Amino acid sequence: MTRPIRNFTQGELDWQPWLAPVDLDAATDEQRAALKITPSNRTIGAYSLVLAHDPEALEQRSPLYNAIMFGPKGLPRAERELGVVVASRINGCAYCASVHAKRFAELTKAPEVMRRIQQDGVQATLEPRQKAIVDYAAKLTRDPAAITPADAAPLRAQGLSDLEILDLTHAVAMFAWANRLMQTLGEATTPAREGNPL
Amino acid sequence: MSDGNPDVMDTLAGLADESALAALRRQRPDVVRHLQGSDDAIFAPAHHGGLTRPEREACALRVASLLRDSVLEEHYHRRLVALGEMHPLNGTRGECILAHVDRVTMDPADAAKADIDALLTVGLSPHAVVSLSQLIAYVNFQSRVLAGLRMLKGAA
Repeated sequence: MTRPIRNFTQGELDWQPWLAPVDLDAATDEQRAALKITPSNRTIGAYSLVLAHDPEALEQRSPLYNAIMFGPKGLPRAERELGVVVASRINGCAYCASVHAKRFAELTKAPEVMRRIQQDGVQATLEPRQKAIVDYAAKLTRDPAAITPADAAPLRAQGLSDLEILDLTHAVAMFAWANRLMQTLGEATTPAREGNPL
Repeated sequence: MSDGNPDVMDTLAGLADESALAALRRQRPDVVRHLQGSDDAIFAPAHHGGLTRPEREACALRVASLLRDSVLEEHYHRRLVALGEMHPLNGTRGECILAHVDRVTMDPADAAKADIDALLTVGLSPHAVVSLSQLIAYVNFQSRVLAGLRMLKGAA
């Protein structure tokens, strides 16, 4: 048994599809090829198997996701995760926010930052560079049309290069994409098998 | 076709071949390649799976106008005109698709299984449902990348 979750957690989560996933035994060659590269290292999950209904889109999206989240140099990975957590919170995607809050904490050894964001949202008190990243990620997520050249200034003032700003933009934008797939093709659930903080 | 220079994102952001920002984008060659590849897969797939090319452009146009992105609106409007079918989203099927475009763009957290069931009921295949979802999500992504590029261009 599973139950839907609406809050944010650092506990284990699962994802329940609303559309029957592709049956791997009956998958076409094209679907199999598209499933080879997946954003996560785990065995092929229901999420990827649902996306495999459109193998052409999946085949491009997986390497795009990896290039944006794991591309070398530029914005440190933890700060990409920070932007992603902000986007996911605003978009209401508990699953994405939880997974990426955990990644941030693993990368930085600073769980306190995510605790503050979980508690106070994008208004959380943070160090100036993190604050600039969070503010830009929030504005870009809420209303991209409202972004103006002036929004680059606080990021640059905190030492972000143009490549780092581009990386942050890509990461936040990627979760305008990912959050929409996650929340509209199925729902996050929490396994009932063990005590969960929820 | 995905390594063409300029690509769709350069064109939309108004980046000239030798501009600093076009060069900056190319420091992320895999992003450039697969972003264009995604655009191709979403708008000109080899197999459309039941969601037609004009329907795809019309859905993208709707996302662009919901986001008040006039550059993207013009882009998708032009492509729709080129296909010669200005109003492909009609009747129960069209209304159901448009309602989904609006919901996924503006209130993705409010989506429910009933919305997917409704799309299947009006005749979309599972392939078409996933294509529609990818398309809506992609244009939401695209508008934000474009906003960031415009910001960097204006702040150069």
